[in-house]
Amino acid sequence: MKNRGATILAIIGAALLILPLVVHDTFVLRVLTEGVMWIGLAIAFDVIAGYTGYLNFGHGAFFGIGAYTIGILMMQANLPFWAALPLGGVAAAIVALIAGIPTLRLKGAYFAIATWALSRAIQQLALNVEFTGGPDGMRLEAFLNPQFFYYLMLITVGATFAILWYLLERAPFGLKLKAIREDEEGAKALGLNPTKLKMQSFILSALPTGILGGIYAYWITFIDPSSTLGDLVSDQAVVMVVFGGMGTLFGPALGAILIFAFKTIFWAYLSDFQLLYLIILGALIAISVIFIPNGLWGTMVKRKAGATRPEQKAEPASEPAALSAVAAPEEGN
Amino acid sequence: MMELLPQALTDGILLGGIYITIAIAFSLTYGVMHVIDFAVGEWIMFGAFTGYYLNKWTGLDPFLFLPVIFVLYFGVGYVIQPVIHRVLSGTKGNPFLMGLVFTFGLAIMFRGLALTAFGFYSNSIPSAFSEGSFDLEPLGLTVTIPTVRLVGLCYALAITLILHYLLKKTNFGLGVRALAQHKDAAGLMGVNSKRTGSYVYGIYVGISAMTGVLLGCILSIGAQMGNEYTIFAFFVVVLAGMGYLAGVPWAALLLGLVQSIFMIYFNPSHTLLAVFAILYIILLISPRGLFGKGV
Amino acid sequence: MKFGFVRVLLLIAALFVAIPVHAEQRNFFKIGVITELSGDLVTGGNITKRGYDLWAQEVNAKGGIVIQGKKYPVKLVYADAQSNPAAGAAAAERLITQEKVDFILGPYSSGVTLAVAPVVDKYKIPMITGSAESPLIWKNKFKYTFGTIPPINFTGATSIKTLTEMKPAPKTIAIIGSNDAFSKATAEAYKTAAEKAKLKIVKFSIVPSGQDMTPLLSAVRSMKPDVIAFGGHDEEHVKFVKALKQIGYTPKALLMHCGITDKAFIDAVGKDGEQIFGTTCWTGTAKTKSNVLWPNAAAYAAASQKAFNNPGDYTQGGCSAAGIAFQTALQKIGAKPGMDEAMRTKLIAALEQIDVQTFYGRVKFATSGEFYHANVGLDPLTVQIQGGHVKTVGPKASVEAPAIYPMKDWKSR
Repeated sequence: MKNRGATILAIIGAALLILPLVVHDTFVLRVLTEGVMWIGLAIAFDVIAGYTGYLNFGHGAFFGIGAYTIGILMMQANLPFWAALPLGGVAAAIVALIAGIPTLRLKGAYFAIATWALSRAIQQLALNVEFTGGPDGMRLEAFLNPQFFYYLMLITVGATFAILWYLLERAPFGLKLKAIREDEEGAKALGLNPTKLKMQSFILSALPTGILGGIYAYWITFIDPSSTLGDLVSDQAVVMVVFGGMGTLFGPALGAILIFAFKTIFWAYLSDFQLLYLIILGALIAISVIFIPNGLWGTMVKRKAGATRPEQKAEPASEPAALSAVAAPEEGN
Repeated sequence: MMELLPQALTDGILLGGIYITIAIAFSLTYGVMHVIDFAVGEWIMFGAFTGYYLNKWTGLDPFLFLPVIFVLYFGVGYVIQPVIHRVLSGTKGNPFLMGLVFTFGLAIMFRGLALTAFGFYSNSIPSAFSEGSFDLEPLGLTVTIPTVRLVGLCYALAITLILHYLLKKTNFGLGVRALAQHKDAAGLMGVNSKRTGSYVYGIYVGISAMTGVLLGCILSIGAQMGNEYTIFAFFVVVLAGMGYLAGVPWAALLLGLVQSIFMIYFNPSHTLLAVFAILYIILLISPRGLFGKGV
Repeated sequence: MKFGFVRVLLLIAALFVAIPVHAEQRNFFKIGVITELSGDLVTGGNITKRGYDLWAQEVNAKGGIVIQGKKYPVKLVYADAQSNPAAGAAAAERLITQEKVDFILGPYSSGVTLAVAPVVDKYKIPMITGSAESPLIWKNKFKYTFGTIPPINFTGATSIKTLTEMKPAPKTIAIIGSNDAFSKATAEAYKTAAEKAKLKIVKFSIVPSGQDMTPLLSAVRSMKPDVIAFGGHDEEHVKFVKALKQIGYTPKALLMHCGITDKAFIDAVGKDGEQIFGTTCWTGTAKTKSNVLWPNAAAYAAASQKAFNNPGDYTQGGCSAAGIAFQTALQKIGAKPGMDEAMRTKLIAALEQIDVQTFYGRVKFATSGEFYHANVGLDPLTVQIQGGHVKTVGPKASVEAPAIYPMKDWKSR
């Protein structure tokens, strides 16, 4: 099982690496670059939301902070891109550290709204200070090399995926986070330090997001508060993760691919029906929540587990879910 | 600048009245159903356009339509609620998140529908109340109270009192309160959670739609207006303590006053920065709202 | 199931790769349109689209653009920028590499234009935007980007000047701008002009977008300014007028920007819109003369009324004029559809030399300085809403009706 999974991953990885040699179409490369970026944003978001159970509704702030850090360092401090890029991640991580200490004490809806308020405040700040260019935004030196950005995005997201996969699925760290998600008090009783673990997971979520924001800024060459610090990144990350399946790495990646593919195909080939697209996307999100509450990946994994090993639990966490899913229609009547 | 203070306070209170109407029913729904409804602004928008077209069609004052709009949207909410109920009760782990994403999907869909049906222009609903104002001159200072905003404040207070009466003095309210406190126990005591939930959601959608008409008279309407009001609804409900109805008027007035004072005495461009920073800080200090009574 | 996942991936990959390759040779001009058809700026985006559509419709009704005696019709291909710079850049890349468009008609907003401009520069595809008017675009000196609407810092001074010529002359002004790129630039342009005209600025404030401005206007009222100037978007204009009316303050003159010339604004505020001043470069009654497509502004307004039940505003007109600028330059160099790079370079040179009278007025792009590639051929106009119509009240050469000043009190309307 695991070997086959690894083989498939390796094949996909290799295919993605050689793709630019086959595909010379710069638009397709651009779309793939953005698709890879969304995979990265979705899995980074899922570290804190899915694994740790803290819904960060201000995920976009880390992205924007990364983007602005690169923009300011390159355009105002004349730093080369390679020197600025890691600092974008560091800046996002520092903000996560500072904001995390008080914010992570909140739970559930309160945490979600606090992070949302914080990200809005950061957006307003960017609109009101001089060094960000305010509402005019900021233009970066154009370096429009599609292959460069494709590989940079791919390597960043690939490395993020590998590191997260190791930490969350192989090392005990992932289990500890899940323990916090399921029962924070219980985790404490087991000798875990929830405060420290939550902080680590928040920073782990922010760091790659900041770096991706930095790459985005250099790639698109123009950033402003509404496109990088607005709701777009947070909203889309939530939708992708929920649609794909929370608390996994493959789920958000799958959700990111499908949602982004849907958006892009509709956008590119059905642009005369742009408003229809909003209607369909909205309906799709609502319907998926009703019919596949565990997300696509969660549903697929459970169905497979249920079909082949009915006597065993698919996953420790999904057992109560199965029960409540069965119980729900009865309760409804 | 001190001579502006009475006007600043008046403006703040009248603005607060608008925020009460946006947030009060939203808070009720959260208290009972534990759903953060992202589509609150879209219900407001639909109500506003219904009022706009009814006014165009009949030429009557939009305030006369409020009951019609309430009944209409009460029905819509009543019909939709079972779906939300299913989303909230049928899944594992994080029903809160499921409800949020579900209503988020609804909001996107509604916005697309509205842009298709109503077009992209901004508009305004004319009303007899839009004309005129009360000019008071206490101690030689001029204070203006626009009629339409005063009507808005009265409407807000009336809705608050009616909801208060419903919750505290009727059997229905007893059921709602029981449901908000403990769902299962309420069920055992004979509260039909499904139907009560439907009534609550219907009331919420109905009130939000009426609020839309009011906003159309005071400010403006447009297919994209919803998002802005969703933000203020969140703000007020969180500040009040989520689901704590009695806190809503105070939180709404506070928001109105903060905005008004900031616009007049500080740099107006920092108004929203201040609003969000205050929300964040209050959440950190007292997560259950100003009164510590949130759910 | 894992293979199911792979299958899904392959299917998606196939969708991306299996894109039909278009033939280079064609007997019509294929023109990309990048604009905001969804997102926050959907209103402006759709107005630009109308302008481009009306131009294409009119050209095709005449059989196409005449190049060396042969008629080539035009075909517009749309790409939605979703009010997002990244989507705008992707749209440009798609139109250029997939659709192989001959040239591009550009976005509504300055932000999207700034993200699209480097991409069209890279592929050397000419673009004219009929709307974006932030001074920042032109300061960046993009070689392949042009604009038919003059930047706001070029037009703003005129209406301030018109107001200072009123009797009794206003002495004080309060200037308010919404905190987005365009509105802030508008407010700043008015501020610069007011300083030059020696008006006393009693208040200059930037407010967050979309807010209720009543408290701020209460503060402004206490300063009793003769003129209130406001830079904002359509929805904010409506709120602003209503707020001023609600607090019961009537300045001697209320100045906004081109947004007020749209019929939708006049419809929304009704009689409260009367006597509001605006800055624009074109109205449906402007005294223009042209021998390309529409003979004058009135003919254009009539065509627009027929097509969209709206006579069109300054943004829409600018977009139609963008099409005419291309059309004229193409005819001049005799370019046929499916232009190669050398031809497109010639097209840029032709655009830089263009000096044509259109229904929109004179189109002539600056070739140096802070307005690089922006249209500086137009004369800015001061307009006022009178009797539900937009009337030009300044400068003297273009006056249609005398300005009504001071403004009539809200209460006695």
